[in-house]
Amino acid sequence: MAEEFNVEGMLDMYLFENRQLLEQLQEKVLEQKDDDEFDSDAINEIFRTMHTIKGSSGIMMFDEITEVAHKLEDIFFFIRESHPDNVPHVELVEHVLTVSDFINAEMDKLADGGQADGSAKEIVADLDKFLSSLKGENKEEVIKENVHQEPTQFYIAPMATSSSHFYRIYLTYAPDTIMANVHAYKVVFSLKDIAEDLLHYPEDIISDESSGAKILEEGFKILLQAQCTLEELQEMIKEGYEISSVEIEEISAAKYQMGFDAFGSGPEIDLESSVEEIENKANQGAYGDMLILPAATAAVVEEKKEYVPGDFVIESKGPGKSKKLVKDKAKKQEKTSFISVDVRKMDQLMDLIGELVISESVVLQNQDLKVPGLKLDNFHKAAGQMVKIATDLQDVIMSMRMVPLTNTFQKMNRIVFDVSRKLGKDIEFQMIGDTTEVDKNIIEKISDPLMHLVRNSVDHGIETQEERAAKGKTEKGRVTLSAKTESGKVWIGVADNGAGLDRRKILEKARKHELLDPTRLDSSYSDKEVYQLITLPGFSTNDKVTEYSGRGVGMDVVVSNIQEIGGTLEIESTPGEGSLMLLKIPLTLAIIDGIVMQVGNNTFVIETRCVKEFINVKQESVIRKPNGEEFVMIRGEGYPMIRLGKWYGIDHCKEDTQQGMMVMVESENKSFCLFVDDLIGKQEIVVKPIPDYIKKVQGLSGCTQLGDGRIALILDVVGLLEE
Amino acid sequence: MEEKTEKKKQKYVTFMSGKEHFGLKIEYVNEIIVMQEITAIPEMEDYIKGLINLRGKIIPVIDVRLRFKQEPFEYNDRTCIIVINVSGTTVGLIVEKIAEVVEISDENLLPSPTIGRFDKSQQDRYVYAIGKVGNSVKLLLDPDKLLHDDMVVLEQVGGDDIYGDTEN
Repeated sequence: MAEEFNVEGMLDMYLFENRQLLEQLQEKVLEQKDDDEFDSDAINEIFRTMHTIKGSSGIMMFDEITEVAHKLEDIFFFIRESHPDNVPHVELVEHVLTVSDFINAEMDKLADGGQADGSAKEIVADLDKFLSSLKGENKEEVIKENVHQEPTQFYIAPMATSSSHFYRIYLTYAPDTIMANVHAYKVVFSLKDIAEDLLHYPEDIISDESSGAKILEEGFKILLQAQCTLEELQEMIKEGYEISSVEIEEISAAKYQMGFDAFGSGPEIDLESSVEEIENKANQGAYGDMLILPAATAAVVEEKKEYVPGDFVIESKGPGKSKKLVKDKAKKQEKTSFISVDVRKMDQLMDLIGELVISESVVLQNQDLKVPGLKLDNFHKAAGQMVKIATDLQDVIMSMRMVPLTNTFQKMNRIVFDVSRKLGKDIEFQMIGDTTEVDKNIIEKISDPLMHLVRNSVDHGIETQEERAAKGKTEKGRVTLSAKTESGKVWIGVADNGAGLDRRKILEKARKHELLDPTRLDSSYSDKEVYQLITLPGFSTNDKVTEYSGRGVGMDVVVSNIQEIGGTLEIESTPGEGSLMLLKIPLTLAIIDGIVMQVGNNTFVIETRCVKEFINVKQESVIRKPNGEEFVMIRGEGYPMIRLGKWYGIDHCKEDTQQGMMVMVESENKSFCLFVDDLIGKQEIVVKPIPDYIKKVQGLSGCTQLGDGRIALILDVVGLLEE
Repeated sequence: MEEKTEKKKQKYVTFMSGKEHFGLKIEYVNEIIVMQEITAIPEMEDYIKGLINLRGKIIPVIDVRLRFKQEPFEYNDRTCIIVINVSGTTVGLIVEKIAEVVEISDENLLPSPTIGRFDKSQQDRYVYAIGKVGNSVKLLLDPDKLLHDDMVVLEQVGGDDIYGDTEN
């Protein structure tokens, strides 16, 4: 049946929403994993999340996911209602994570176009065991029904013809049927194709799982208007699908109009009184928890008076909706404030805005405007307004693409938790600056390398309890993940307070693998050089290959992934005290604020934020060292100086420093001067990569199109200094 | 020559470079544009002239004559840029003059005649066949080789650079 479903859009939505829910869930769980128990907020949230996932998976007919979610929901329902003591917290945390992993894995399969075919039997059995052990400790507690109302009416677009027949169908299910409402929905769904009009009771079988219990108790009633004969219908709804009995009866149109009252009460009931009756009953609380449903039924009956069966039935949002539980309301509001957009569309928008920025400067710097004697007051006024809007537009799109690292960091939290438990290490996880925002594309690329580094820290970095005790380390093992923005880059650090890197071991291993220059002595390698060795392919100092690391394919992959996005990896380590892996990754703001400069016939752009000042220096202030290196004295301090023209071998550039301009730039706390011919101006520029065909030139990070259509090269200040 | 049975015809864009006519399969050619202002990139081989702005897209351009190690020529108003796309890489080829688009049937293709002395070391490697059109002969270019032939060498150099710090 699932194949008949047009699930394309639904599936995307399903995956997107549930992924978000699971992410929030994990975050919450990990936040409290070290506490003694979940607080009531967390319990409610896990319960709600599982409830929602169960509901949506039920509709999508992913039975295994539905069942797992249902079981976990049961557990949390029990915890919420009965407040049992002595809940084994860590075990519970693991159960939640296992379930969320299972669902995630199934969703991955679905996202790749596969089927959610994983079996949840084991997990379900575990959860059952867990729940019964919980209940065993709290026998005296009476568990209330897991009731939750959210009525909606299921309508099928009707098409009335005179040859229509009316049927009344009454189904009962085997008393042990799990999720009878979903089975009932399957019947409704199979009737969809032939139905001209269809009503069923209980109405909300999709999101209200208490309807399942009701179906078991009272049976499932369907009123159907269709062209088919009684025999055909009987053929369609056979016993099976857990259905234990089927009653199909053809009824008159008049009876059909009476709705479900025709089932229970006598056939001659006056419509008005039936509504009142039901309402009265409801008010008296005769229906107890079912307060909402009868009201909704009443609304349907009322509508039936005005519409001939077969007319379009307008969904009643009246009495039922207003009684929704408060917690659901809050959740709905949250949902409406987000919309998921295809990233490709975002990129397209980004490109278009880039083009807009360029064409804006084409217009504003147009040669035609430079004719002397033109009155341009109004033009400039209008242009000013346009510039303002374009800038706002850029800010918005940039902020749309910037995502905090929080989620990525949370994932690492999970890894620390998993790996440290498996290895029997007691490790504390710390996050600093996780709200640092980075371009979404970058985040996707750093997730894997970061995961690797964190695993390494937990697995290799931090010693076992015994080793720590032997070394006299009293504090807990700790892994710290930190992020900050510095000089146009994001610095992400993975630090641990473990053993640190073993210089001797690394050198030994490197010699063995012939990664070192045989003519050089070990002692001639600086610590930094030694630590960089571990990033070479095939290098692993850990003798044992564990489940998590040590195969020697790792650090080199990390490094190449980081380099791919223009980042670097720095390694610092103090023996006995721990190590720090520092990633420096460009923010890659696709639009940057730049200073446009002229050197010979070439135009260069430098990011404004790197520039400290512009100075015009006298020829005497430039001092030339015997090796040809030059530096310039400014206010009593010497700064190294690079003549950009000479550096890149550009012809026709200025020699005299007084005629040109000195640009003082700063990168990573180092200041130096660039000598250029001329400054052209400050401009917003759209960073474009230099085509792959061109090999990488040191100190150039990209190119851009200027207002007049010419191309300028973007200088990478950090790159200029690299050796 | 080998597959004479198939009388397939292919279209080629032909252009002049030096005294010879060259041909490129039309499927590689995106468009032909007039000479544009070129932004030079420092530290490049002489034949990579720089970057041009093709309606907002920035693409590299190479001078075919310099690529063939022939004498450089002055760009004039007949100079054209043939924008080609070879497996995703878009590159502009600066040529002296566009000749025409010709159809050459496969039976008129001959393997590039060679005595082997210039092979592999010289510019002949870019020519994979010659095509006969009436009395004239077109040298048919392998665009992939034209763009990438010595990139292999460059990439190796780049690869060593990465680990340069650690090894010496």
